[in-house]
Amino acid sequence: MKNRGWIIVFASALIICAVWWLCITAFSSPAKTVGIYQNGELIEKIDLTTVTGEREIELSGEYGRNIVYISNGSIKMKSADCPDKICVKHGELESSGSPIVCLPNKVIIKFEDASEKIDAKAGAAG
Amino acid sequence: MDTVMSITAYGDGCEKAVNMADREINRLDRLLSIEKSSSEVLLLNKEKQLELSNDTLKLVSRAREVSIITEGAFDITTEPLTRAWGFYSELDNRVPSEQEIQDALRSVGFQHINISGNKVTLDESTSIDLGGIAKGYASAKAADILKKNGVTSALISLGGNVRTVGKKPDGSFWTVGIADPNDSSKQIGMVSVSDSAVVTSGGYQRFFEEKGHIYHHIINQKTGYPADSGLKSVTVISSDDTLADALSTALFVMGLDKSSELYSKNSELFSAVLVTEDNNIYITENLKNSFSSERNFEVIFD
Repeated sequence: MKNRGWIIVFASALIICAVWWLCITAFSSPAKTVGIYQNGELIEKIDLTTVTGEREIELSGEYGRNIVYISNGSIKMKSADCPDKICVKHGELESSGSPIVCLPNKVIIKFEDASEKIDAKAGAAG
Repeated sequence: MDTVMSITAYGDGCEKAVNMADREINRLDRLLSIEKSSSEVLLLNKEKQLELSNDTLKLVSRAREVSIITEGAFDITTEPLTRAWGFYSELDNRVPSEQEIQDALRSVGFQHINISGNKVTLDESTSIDLGGIAKGYASAKAADILKKNGVTSALISLGGNVRTVGKKPDGSFWTVGIADPNDSSKQIGMVSVSDSAVVTSGGYQRFFEEKGHIYHHIINQKTGYPADSGLKSVTVISSDDTLADALSTALFVMGLDKSSELYSKNSELFSAVLVTEDNNIYITENLKNSFSSERNFEVIFD
């Protein structure tokens, strides 16, 4: 089901809208802050450095459950009921890397400070 | 391709504008996608003759223009070849026989498309695929909608196609990174832009491996095989999204020398960043002040 040619299937849409002054806070969010989005909406913003011990966050979507796992300042998708488990195979979220995306359940996990140097990247989908 | 769309917009009434842009992109997807049952492209391929709506007709006409200036390097009739190579589904990936390629090649080329008013007629075994141009068109329409509805500053990303509207809210240029074709989580450099589309085509984006050979999805319409022009990726920057989308594919097929020639004739239309097989970076001269990289790069003069 992945890579079906050029076709634009917007299985997941992440839409952010802000007024002028809001952008200032958006651009100055602290390092290591991660946003968990589902259906384009922010579920939770977490500063990974403040999580002591381990933490699991359960999300449910059309294709079942996703379990997000945080420990030692890192975040990953621990398990997912979706068919391909691309989000689980992604491993830990890296600040230089692409976001963790679960297209079936429309979940995106990304660094909020990824725009520190660039605003967007051409060529790397997802 | 399942892909992520993101729209970030700033300005009065941006929420309504973003929703409208989102709806328009989805409408165009349903109209132009070769795999949607609602698609006009699919219907045309089936019926071989159809009165097209304005959007689809505009894209077919635009595709013909780009095909002419690139001497066929961009071609929407490569559908039978893409299908033979199984690039419409990962499960179908395969190396076709020489005979299959030769058969498919017979129906490839703009001479097999006839446009008369709104009516488009295809030769019997010809099919079209607007995949190399539709995302650019969709981002252009979305950007127009945002601007008409009070958005002064926005960033649209359609699965790796980037479009900027205006400058950033603080008045500075947007910084768009260009994926490293060897590792797309990294970047080879970045461009500072406003009101421009930034589109990258590369063999690394979709490929399969068979018997130790890598076969990627950008087919050379003259040979019927994946383009082998010595480039790993091409990024085109232009205020015309549709052109940027089509040219990124075309330049990838054409290679460095022919791309340089095309640039020298059309330097007011586009800028480009090319990465060769041996990992050298070339940028067009009109990008000199807006491209930055930690790596060495060479400049193509017009």
